[in-house]
Amino acid sequence: MSIEPMRIFFKEIKEPITTTMIGNYAVAGGVTQTDPDVICAFPITPQTQSVEGLSDVVHQGRLKAAFVNVESELAAISFSTAACAAGARSFTATASQGYLLMTEALPMAVGWRLPLTMMISARAFNSPNLSIWNSWEFTETNSEMGWNCIVSENVQETYDAAILSVMISEDSLFPTMFVHDGFIISHSVQKLTLIPDEAVRQMTPKKPRHTIDPSKPGTWGGIVTPSYFMEGRKNLDEAKKPVLNQMREVFSRFKKFTGREYDLIETYNLDNSSKTAFCTMGSMCGNIISWMLKNKDIGLIKIRAFRPFPHEELRKIIEEHNIEKLIILEKSDSLNGMLPPFSMSIATALYPLGTLFRSFIVGLGGRDVTRDEFDVAKKKMALVSDMNGRLYQYLGVRETKGNIYEVDY
Amino acid sequence: MLTAEQLKEVLKENVINLRFHARGGQGGVTASNLCVEAFYGYGVCQPMFGAERMGSPTESYVRLSANDDLVRTNEQVYAPHVVAVLDPSLLGEIDVTAGLAKGGWLIVNTVLNQEEIQGVVGRKDINVGTIDATRIALDVLGRNITNTIILGGIIRVMPIFSTDALADAIMRRFKGEVAAKNIAAIKQAIEETCVYDIGLDPDFTIDTKVPWQQVFLGLPGYKEVDKAGVWYCDEDVIEIGSGQVNTGSWGEYDMIWDEEKCTDCAQCWFICPDFAIIREKGEDGLWHMKGIDQFHCKSCQNCLEVCPVDAISKKLKQGPASCAVPEDQEGGS
Repeated sequence: MSIEPMRIFFKEIKEPITTTMIGNYAVAGGVTQTDPDVICAFPITPQTQSVEGLSDVVHQGRLKAAFVNVESELAAISFSTAACAAGARSFTATASQGYLLMTEALPMAVGWRLPLTMMISARAFNSPNLSIWNSWEFTETNSEMGWNCIVSENVQETYDAAILSVMISEDSLFPTMFVHDGFIISHSVQKLTLIPDEAVRQMTPKKPRHTIDPSKPGTWGGIVTPSYFMEGRKNLDEAKKPVLNQMREVFSRFKKFTGREYDLIETYNLDNSSKTAFCTMGSMCGNIISWMLKNKDIGLIKIRAFRPFPHEELRKIIEEHNIEKLIILEKSDSLNGMLPPFSMSIATALYPLGTLFRSFIVGLGGRDVTRDEFDVAKKKMALVSDMNGRLYQYLGVRETKGNIYEVDY
Repeated sequence: MLTAEQLKEVLKENVINLRFHARGGQGGVTASNLCVEAFYGYGVCQPMFGAERMGSPTESYVRLSANDDLVRTNEQVYAPHVVAVLDPSLLGEIDVTAGLAKGGWLIVNTVLNQEEIQGVVGRKDINVGTIDATRIALDVLGRNITNTIILGGIIRVMPIFSTDALADAIMRRFKGEVAAKNIAAIKQAIEETCVYDIGLDPDFTIDTKVPWQQVFLGLPGYKEVDKAGVWYCDEDVIEIGSGQVNTGSWGEYDMIWDEEKCTDCAQCWFICPDFAIIREKGEDGLWHMKGIDQFHCKSCQNCLEVCPVDAISKKLKQGPASCAVPEDQEGGS
């Protein structure tokens, strides 16, 4: 390699540095600063450069971590979970089909209350055709299995999320995945400001917690009869309740160190004349914010904490700002006549309020989402006056060679 | 041509878009990265999303503005104001001026003159800058890498960042001597860029994106794709299928087949990864080699290695596709 993309992280970062980087290397840098003990990932497609960047830093000697290549994503998540149970701060990463291959072992880190972190570069899964581009596979079928999940809009946010995830994981003792849109963020070069190493160390101290301990033998994950299993699940459910508050505390601690402000849900221009807002997450929020410079009669609700889903916070925001209509944009579908997964979460939250909404499925498999989609969604929503009929539609898809589905072109 | 001060004014409330055309390995993405690093305001650089192979045509995009909210969008760049072409062989292969705004600048590494370039791309409403970047690269850098040199051309016609800022960015990215040579090459490039100004500047306030172009009208719609998403070999439904990609333009060499020496042993046919060895069934009922499919052959030279009777040889192509060298991974999969 003629250029060492991780060079900036080879030395102690003493003060905030503004630099430019792709999302994947920025994440690798953030993870480096949190000083993980074990990095374990499947190194081949659909893996990203985040792991490649970390191998660079470990090889160079800056990061004293065990860097473990394994034969599959299932092995990666199993190894990382076990390492985390043994007391190591662990990081893994995946995308697309790799995430689906992990699914079998995802619930264990939750059950064992392990502060594992994982980066997901959101990409399509393969059906009917292979795609390596952006979709939201991580939202499908609620496959996060009880993990915490935060979603980032741009490179700065995904770098910060690498550090925030460690803080959230260790405070809540639940594993946390942080997601950015594949290619759109993972491969875009954007400016970002790096946090000094000392500040990251202070934000992410290694605290004592429950671990596998030879001096205190016990069975982890042993079989239980029906007389016991349900209590284990309810115990987890109770433990999840304070997580959103813990996230909030993490965000405010992060702000003290960096000045950058995050929240479970972030809002833009909600007191607008049409009492309508877009609701989405990830890189599309940036597109909408730019588009809103010329469309000031509409707002944006940006979900950062996708899991646990901040139902109450969303309800409160909608009530406070008298939002009457929501335009939900999402990059996944359900095929079974139900709402797609992200919209389903929103709909559940909206149920007591009766807010009108429609869901638009956009940008599957890397199709760009532009001002054209926003213009049409806004126009369509203006005509909506009830919740009858189909609540979702695809937008930006060819019906025939010369025709776009449900768009007058 | 706009001065640096005028551009600063434009950038306060507008975005300037750039697009780089190169071949995999020539450093087009590095060039666009350097734009973002050298620019004083906010900037985003995106490679063409997908897998990149050595020698294949690549694109990368840059969006710059002093207004943070304007570049916050993660949309792709559809309407560039500046297009830079690092490799002249791309001119015949790619529509390099697609979406280029009226009065925009096309900067090409070429020895052709500006009017000839206007003819090749079929546009009279754009300004052209030409630069013999290959020669400067060989003179100053000692190898044919034109990505930083083309930035000199950009500074000459549209000074959105200063030479000093670019030099700083290069010094951060490259090591000592390499950085110094690149900076010297850029300074020479600024001097030597030939400018053909038609007296028209782009209107940065106009959005020239074609509505819904991201939806690729003209390709089959969802009602027209085959069941199970299958691409049947005997149909021509997928007009951008891999069989229609001119992988032949990616390679360094033309592979030459000598019919006299060939013994029809078919070892080359077995080893060719691109099915570029053409065979036909003769009247004797046996298969005979008939030549090499230059449209698909990307000169991996496996056939040359495997041929037991030296019936295959190679000839260096005319043109700069031969300059590809490995660098920072771009695209990726």
